[in-house]
Amino acid sequence: MISDRSEAELVEKLRNGDPDGLAAAYDRYGRVVYSLFLRITHDQSAAEDLVQELFLRLWNRRREFDATRGALGAWLLSIARNMAIDHLRSAQARFQSKLRPIDQTDTLRFSYKPSEPANVMDNVKAVQDALAELKPNHRKVLELAYFEGYSQSEIAARLEEPLGTVKSWMRAALERVRTAVKGGGNK
Amino acid sequence: MTHPEMNELYELYLLGTLEPELASEIDSHVVDRCEYCGERLREAALVVAAMSGMAEQVDPPKHLRERVLASVRPRKQSTSWIYAVGGLVAACVILFAYTLWSANTARSLREEISALSQERDQLRSAVEVLSRPDTRMVQFGKQNAANGRVFLSSNGGVVFAGSQLPQLASDKTFQLWLIPGKGAPRSAGLFRANAQGAFVNVVPGPLNLTQIQAVAVSVEPRQGSPAPTTTPILVVSIG
Repeated sequence: MISDRSEAELVEKLRNGDPDGLAAAYDRYGRVVYSLFLRITHDQSAAEDLVQELFLRLWNRRREFDATRGALGAWLLSIARNMAIDHLRSAQARFQSKLRPIDQTDTLRFSYKPSEPANVMDNVKAVQDALAELKPNHRKVLELAYFEGYSQSEIAARLEEPLGTVKSWMRAALERVRTAVKGGGNK
Repeated sequence: MTHPEMNELYELYLLGTLEPELASEIDSHVVDRCEYCGERLREAALVVAAMSGMAEQVDPPKHLRERVLASVRPRKQSTSWIYAVGGLVAACVILFAYTLWSANTARSLREEISALSQERDQLRSAVEVLSRPDTRMVQFGKQNAANGRVFLSSNGGVVFAGSQLPQLASDKTFQLWLIPGKGAPRSAGLFRANAQGAFVNVVPGPLNLTQIQAVAVSVEPRQGSPAPTTTPILVVSIG
């Protein structure tokens, strides 16, 4: 089994329509997704609404998950980020969404190989540790892309930096994050 | 663009922050089910998911957990709605049954009132016949057989009363006949005996007693007959 035992049991309960499975999913991921929603929307009420909608989506698509692939957490976090950005763009009517329709894709995209660390929360922790070592500019471009949904051109305009510089910072930041995720936080 | 050149773009592609022309190039690989891109996108999805760790971690409000769980429970309102509809249906059924019962009761009461009115009119006519000075009385029958009295008044009519008539099937009735000296018998009403065999039949109105030779009783179909269809079970001569 790739994912840890409790996650597999959680997914199995969800697949069986057991509300305890949803309660366990909330207990495991509720804090991280709420924090994400709050960080992107800066609105507590909207963040609560989005958390509820996210877990409702999970409940409605629960049969798509495979207990052995450890995809649940990664799926939740990716969907949460897209929901929050969509909410932000809808609220600001700034531009049409350019997001990949990630919640329409097969949940199999969110899966781990046997050689990979299986728990997305370990990856989250690894990224948190890696952020402390990022240069401020590198961290800034990453945050603008992730939390605000800006393209590299928009980031360059916003920071008043050359596009090439922004791309270089982004490349370095992403490489550090990739390394952290693949290594489970070990440098 | 070669695959190695695309390696640094998969996360940005999933984040939706890649320039459109680069994004459409990866799109075409995805559409073609490119294995290399599929695997890189799987890895990139895990990296993007982990980037949520950049957000400062904040505890959600306590009530949010219950709110989330309540959203997947069957709604009480739906249950209440079902109960409300069930209650309404039950109320309609009860109302319909009550209306039916009321209608039946009213009809039954009307029939009872009609029967009582008819009985009252008969008794009134009987009292009138019995109280007239010109009334004649003819006794008939024996103690252990049908017996009784016939009261005849030329101005009041006929009262035919007695006991020990046999019980009839529900589709039969007794019919009283006035038998003239000449001509066909004339019907003088339908009647039934009670459980003890007692009976009273009143024929109000003036009569030409000189033409009546006898009264007779036959068993007829429930609705009566224009002329006797069976041999009379009782014939009382009044001549």
